[in-house]
Amino acid sequence: MGVVSRSVGNAFRNKVRSGAVVVILAVAIGLALAMLVANQAVGAKVDSLKASVGNNLTVNPAGSRGGLGGGNPLTTADATKAAAVAHVTGVNGTLTVRLANAATASTSGSAGGPADRGGAAGRFGSSGTTSLVSAVQPGVLGQRNNGTGSTGSPTGGTAGGTTQPTFTIPIQATGVSSPTTAAGTALKLTGGAQLSDFAANSTQALVGSTLAAKNSLKVGSTFTVQTRTMKVTGIFDAGDAFDNNGIYLPLAATQTLVDQAGQLSSLNVVVDSIENVAATQAALTTALGASNVDVTAGSNNLQSAITSLGTVQNISLIAFIASLVTAGLIVLLIMIMVVRERRREIGVLKAIGASNRTIGVQFTLEALVLVVLGTVVGAVVAAFSSNPIVSALVAGNTGSTVSAAGPVRGGGFGGGGFGGGGFTRTRGAFAGASQLIGTISTSVGWQTLVLGAVGILAIAAIGALIPALLTARVRPIEVLRGE
Amino acid sequence: MLQVKDVVKSFNSGDRTIKPVNGVSFSLEQGTFAAILGKSGSGKSTLLSLLGALDKATSGDVIVDDVNISTLPDRKLTAYRRDDIGFVFQSYNLIPNLSAKENVMLPMEFAGVSHGERSKRAAELLNQVELTEEMHGRLANRLSGGMQQRVAIARALANNPKLILADEPTGNLDDETGELIIALLRQLAHGKKTTILVVTHDHALAAQTDRKFRLARGQITEA
Ligand SMILES: Nc1ncnc2c1ncn2[C@@H]1O[C@H](COP(=O)(O)OP(=O)(O)OP(=O)(O)O)[C@@H](O)[C@H]1O
Ligand SMILES: [Mg+2]
Repeated sequence: MGVVSRSVGNAFRNKVRSGAVVVILAVAIGLALAMLVANQAVGAKVDSLKASVGNNLTVNPAGSRGGLGGGNPLTTADATKAAAVAHVTGVNGTLTVRLANAATASTSGSAGGPADRGGAAGRFGSSGTTSLVSAVQPGVLGQRNNGTGSTGSPTGGTAGGTTQPTFTIPIQATGVSSPTTAAGTALKLTGGAQLSDFAANSTQALVGSTLAAKNSLKVGSTFTVQTRTMKVTGIFDAGDAFDNNGIYLPLAATQTLVDQAGQLSSLNVVVDSIENVAATQAALTTALGASNVDVTAGSNNLQSAITSLGTVQNISLIAFIASLVTAGLIVLLIMIMVVRERRREIGVLKAIGASNRTIGVQFTLEALVLVVLGTVVGAVVAAFSSNPIVSALVAGNTGSTVSAAGPVRGGGFGGGGFGGGGFTRTRGAFAGASQLIGTISTSVGWQTLVLGAVGILAIAAIGALIPALLTARVRPIEVLRGE
Repeated sequence: MLQVKDVVKSFNSGDRTIKPVNGVSFSLEQGTFAAILGKSGSGKSTLLSLLGALDKATSGDVIVDDVNISTLPDRKLTAYRRDDIGFVFQSYNLIPNLSAKENVMLPMEFAGVSHGERSKRAAELLNQVELTEEMHGRLANRLSGGMQQRVAIARALANNPKLILADEPTGNLDDETGELIIALLRQLAHGKKTTILVVTHDHALAAQTDRKFRLARGQITEA
């Protein structure tokens, strides 16, 4: 019979009360565990989203989108200014141009007269020509203008006696100074190699997979841009039909070919850390002039998704702490009750030679027995509650994230494996209460679990120690005599 | 061995102050078997609790083997209660959910005695106060008053204290068992040189002691 077995025995002296305490503790601790799981799951999601966002900002001429329109084009001087802004670790300028099919362009160009309108439409604001034929067919992308044109063509042809020019989607050529896309991520190649020669006279080119298929291009094949013969060094897959209808060329070569030396259509700015993205965005706007440029966190929508997820993360953290504190308070109140009830016993123990420490240890162990039991039952509670809790938190969040991701997807960021997929995976991981332990240990990590356990036990120990020591400090006769 | 010098204990009850112990002085040699007599409410239990360091005197000194316990810090008082004193409460004060034997083992646990040794000594002590083996494992709150009193006496002897303070140790015992306890205490005092101070109304017990004191109106006189 030592202090441990005495404490275990004391924990069950009042079985009804101990049972009730264990149940209440189990609910609080179970909730705390469920919140910990939710917190970690959301945290992991935020991390992966942050990783997919990267630390990039995009600078475009004011009012422009996707390299078209807008005011004054950017220049290499702007790139230098951007590089000087605090927290900027890298600046990649790109020049995006539209290349019309050489044959179509010359046909429409030679039509003259009333066909001028058609000619302009055919060139579609393009700044150069290429031998490539666009893989995107009119209509495929919902080009209603052209659809009307096509159906109107026989009528117009008979009526006006002019041939409506064949409408083609121009091919987007992006001049890059390093093997990255405008969004700052490396292109995924399905064959060949990344660009390596970035000189003005380089003949290297990357061709999108659908464009390559349409024009029967393979690695090593050639085609022309303006007057230069380019050689396909690699075929890329950017994830959607529009992007795969484009080509990537060395920046200097692009500038030379379309006669836009020193001009850039956008800057991709790399920021040292995700935390500084917002501040750097503001600093860049100031440095380059708010009226001249638009600086977008390539990920504005993604960022807001992260923010909303972060809110969920904070809520679950607060709920975790609140549940822990609740558990601690339950232990404290119960131990105050138990100690009051056993004041006389504390007096006797002191009178026959127990130290304050011995008394503190005995009551702390007694509280820990209750807490350990509460934790075991609470883990079972958590096993059944964390599944609905996590899916409620994450599912509620999925709705907002998906709607936030909607426009992003349209903007070309959708390919990053973001959207429904990630959440489905998260939810899948929480399917089934039986997986709880595995899920916690993998998603939360044993360190966090041990930390949580130590936290609960520490709170319980404090809850038991305070009343026990306060009582033990008085003279034995005072507690022996009772109230 | 025990010197009590001008000890006063006062309580504030309402607007008046009562002094059940008001300037008590006496001393006992080692191995003395002494009794304190007095009417109910005369302050006998109060005086005993001062000697056992369960309470602090309002003034005066209690000196045990040249150590003034009135001025000892709490840690030293714990050691004093554990190692030097065996206290038998008037109302026994056993731990109700522990067995008779576990109650006797408690002071030894606090003194760091091994479990085996505690168990062995507790059984011996319970046998000495004539508690049969089948009672050793019985919960304290399932024992009769007299049995509880004997367990309390056994518990007081557990750590071989040099001073035993017993408040009415035979109050609940039949004559025969009372005689047995008296003989046991006498033997401890005269054989093992343990100093023993008992509070009693029991004339049979008082008759067996070496010295008798009478407490009245806060003052002590040797009878
Ligand atoms: N904590 C206290 N507060 C106020 N008065 C007290 C306190 N403790 C004891 N007294 C008073 O001190 C007096 C002596 O009490 P004490 O218990 O010492 O008497 P006693 O001689 O042991 O009596 P009995 O023989 O009935 O046990 C009583 O009048 C009692 O009311
Ligand atoms: Mg009394």
